[in-house]
Amino acid sequence: MNPLLDQFLTEGRDVLQSIGERLLQLEDSPNDAALMDELFRLVHTLKGNSGLFDLPEMTRVLHAAEDLMDAARDGRVPFDRALADRLLEAMDFVATLIDEIAEAPDDTPPSTARHAGDAVRLGEALRSLLQDDSPPLDADGTQEIPQDAPPALYRTDAGPDLSALPEQTRQDLRQRLDAGESLCWLGYEPEEECFFKGEDPFHQMLQLGAPLWHRLEAREDWPALAELDAYRCVLRFEAIVSASPERLAEHFRYVPDQVDILPLSALMQTDTPQASATAIGPEAAWSFDRVLAAQREILALSDTPPWLDGRLRAVAASLSAAFISVDRAIEVETLEPALASALAARSPAPLLAWLDARQPPTEIGEAADIDAGAPTDSSGAKAPEAEAVRFGRRAEDHLTNPRTLKVDQAKIDRLMNLIGEMVVAKNALPYLAGRAEDVFGVRELAREIKTQYAVINRIAEEMQDAIMQVRMMPVSFVFQRFPRLVRDIAHKLGKEVRLVMEGESTEADKNIIEALADPLVHIVRNSLDHGLEMPEERRAAGKPSEGRLNISARQESDRVLIEIADDGRGIDPNRIRRKAYERGLIDETALERLSDQEAINLVFAAGFSTAEQVTDLSGRGVGMDVVRNAIARVNGAIDLRSQLGQGTSLRLSLPLSMAVTNVMIIESAKQRFGVPMDSVAETVRVARHDIRTIKHRRTTVLRGRLVPLLSLNELLALNAEQIPNDDDEFAVLVVRVDQEYLGIIVDDCRETIDIILKPLAGFLGGLNGYAGSALLGDGSVLLVFNPRELL
Amino acid sequence: MKRILVIDDAATVRLYHRSILESAGFEVTEAVNGLEALERVAEAPFDLYLVDVNMPKLDGYGFLRELRGKNQLPQAPAIMVSTEAAANDQAQAFLSGANLYQVKPVRPERLLSHVQTLLGMTPTDVGRPS
Repeated sequence: MNPLLDQFLTEGRDVLQSIGERLLQLEDSPNDAALMDELFRLVHTLKGNSGLFDLPEMTRVLHAAEDLMDAARDGRVPFDRALADRLLEAMDFVATLIDEIAEAPDDTPPSTARHAGDAVRLGEALRSLLQDDSPPLDADGTQEIPQDAPPALYRTDAGPDLSALPEQTRQDLRQRLDAGESLCWLGYEPEEECFFKGEDPFHQMLQLGAPLWHRLEAREDWPALAELDAYRCVLRFEAIVSASPERLAEHFRYVPDQVDILPLSALMQTDTPQASATAIGPEAAWSFDRVLAAQREILALSDTPPWLDGRLRAVAASLSAAFISVDRAIEVETLEPALASALAARSPAPLLAWLDARQPPTEIGEAADIDAGAPTDSSGAKAPEAEAVRFGRRAEDHLTNPRTLKVDQAKIDRLMNLIGEMVVAKNALPYLAGRAEDVFGVRELAREIKTQYAVINRIAEEMQDAIMQVRMMPVSFVFQRFPRLVRDIAHKLGKEVRLVMEGESTEADKNIIEALADPLVHIVRNSLDHGLEMPEERRAAGKPSEGRLNISARQESDRVLIEIADDGRGIDPNRIRRKAYERGLIDETALERLSDQEAINLVFAAGFSTAEQVTDLSGRGVGMDVVRNAIARVNGAIDLRSQLGQGTSLRLSLPLSMAVTNVMIIESAKQRFGVPMDSVAETVRVARHDIRTIKHRRTTVLRGRLVPLLSLNELLALNAEQIPNDDDEFAVLVVRVDQEYLGIIVDDCRETIDIILKPLAGFLGGLNGYAGSALLGDGSVLLVFNPRELL
Repeated sequence: MKRILVIDDAATVRLYHRSILESAGFEVTEAVNGLEALERVAEAPFDLYLVDVNMPKLDGYGFLRELRGKNQLPQAPAIMVSTEAAANDQAQAFLSGANLYQVKPVRPERLLSHVQTLLGMTPTDVGRPS
């Protein structure tokens, strides 16, 4: 992608993020001037950036947002929720456009013209808040676009008067036409009320690029200054531009009735060719004039600030450079004395006199305040030979470079995959050493391979660790959307909620963080929707009317713990029991037998939803079972505690990383399998006579606890007996599934290893009993099973 | 080699200006606000300054006033680049010590032409194929 566009999108997202945060902060402290100032600048930055690209819809909305923020900053418009809502809506729109541009395949920003309607609507919504601030509109201040307006291109009752063009311009135009360039004459009369509609005629003209010729005049004689209404636009723009009529029509698509466009070819035929040779290019002449005009204006300033000397010297430097640039270096010799006397007199007069003697004031210098109408040379303005003269940057430049690099995720993923392959490849070395010794009988070589393996192993592990560190992301990536989410939902439900977040900087692997996003949003919605009560209900229960929602994250050894706690009504176990019974999830005996905690855990059962009615927030048939499964997919666990009337707390425990999985290798029916160590509680040997059959299930007693036993060969339908060791003891893998312990009888337990677990692909992906596969050092494939699904 | 300091809080704008100026063979240093710009200047003055108006910590006007107040430094030309096409802002820029006022976005050819003129180079030499 085009690096500038790339930068724009990246910075745009950052800025949007900051805008969202500041807006929410401002709701808490609406009088914070510094915050307001920062918010204005963020919007301003975004608008300035969007102006670098042809993104009229985005610029339009941002321009309106900037004006509104400017008014809010100056206190002309109160900062309230309505304003925040409108701004947030506008920023969402901008975010949508940014996403759309980011997804476009090619280098240039795609046309976002189909959002033009939204842009107009949002722009007007923002400006409507400014109304208090502006002079009253006419009774019917809105513009009506006549349905039968003639096609934009040819409303030419006011045709161009080409005789007004300077001879040199005419020649230039003719040469361009001869060269096949498409030129158009453009007349633009913005309607008088245009400023109230978020239109910016001047900007619109500037966006066209520099015209070949232009004229800007008033449509009527200017009234006396006292009677002048600065809010009415009475200007008429005329320009000749290098563009097709279609492009111009597209450019002025919002105001087709105010624009005349006429292709130029027919108007220029009568001219006779004449050679024109100018000493310097039109662009250079323009710059020279502009620089001189600006210096003249500066020298006309009558103030005497402490920095006057510096200002005068800078003017002299600019004048000197300008004269040298047009090969008039010889005249600069007298500039130095003029500067000296100006500095001595602390007055610009000597410099002004010097300038007037060299270059009398010209019309162009005095008239053009802002240079919209310079000549242009579209044939080759880039600098091909400059490519050859690229210079290295100096050391001090690097001081300004950011210490943080933004790297495309795909690059990190690629590194991760490569290191994964490297880990697997290095695991082949011990196997190779074994072969060197056993098959080829060269023990010395085997020893050397093993030594080398140790070195490579250490480096690979460090590399892996380093890359894992790069992949670590703070949970704030997910948390940051909660203030807005909570605010919006609370408003919608009419509840008062105070969100408190802690530990946002806690880090975990990006896969974990990403997997966390949807479940967390669901949990937060649940808390707001079902957990926290309406303000009156809270007051009746003797609680503060404002509910509290705590979201915290912290690291505990190699796990990340995330807790979402509310002080709402809590979960009523009896209601859960009744619901579960009604839905056929439990039978009557269970209804009696279930402890309160077990009852509460029933909310994780598939097909359980406690909402009396499906609301538009947390309803939609998605229950807590989906949340639990999503967490389980990244080897996480979820723990729900609730106190009726006091509140509910959900605690998620997640691994820091899932890039590398620690598995235990087990043997059964002469095959090797892997079991994730996360789910292994312990391994024990159980003598055959300690296995009893209770209710047709084999069980044993481990430290006073009854543990059901299952045979792995039966689970996998391997059609073989489990083989005990010489003492007639079976190897049993005790696994923990949802707070329950189960024993799996296998033939033997072997070492644990770190593997890169690859999910099963294709039709094998349907085998839920397996978490995936991994390559072992000897090149064989290890199937890793997923105890939760298998049992 | 002429050294130019680009001062803008928007990274996109800095990149835009940097790429234009570097393509013409200038050496570009960046600063994200007026204060940082003053630090860069303290290390070594520049041949030209491209200054944004609205920035945190120290804005463009403030930077220019500080710069122009440093009598021991050579005073190089400064171009103020703003998003506002307001005459008032131009006056403010000139009062503070800018030598030219331009409205964003400045077309690449226009920017180069102005920069080269203010550096005593003939724009036709560098800005165009000969």
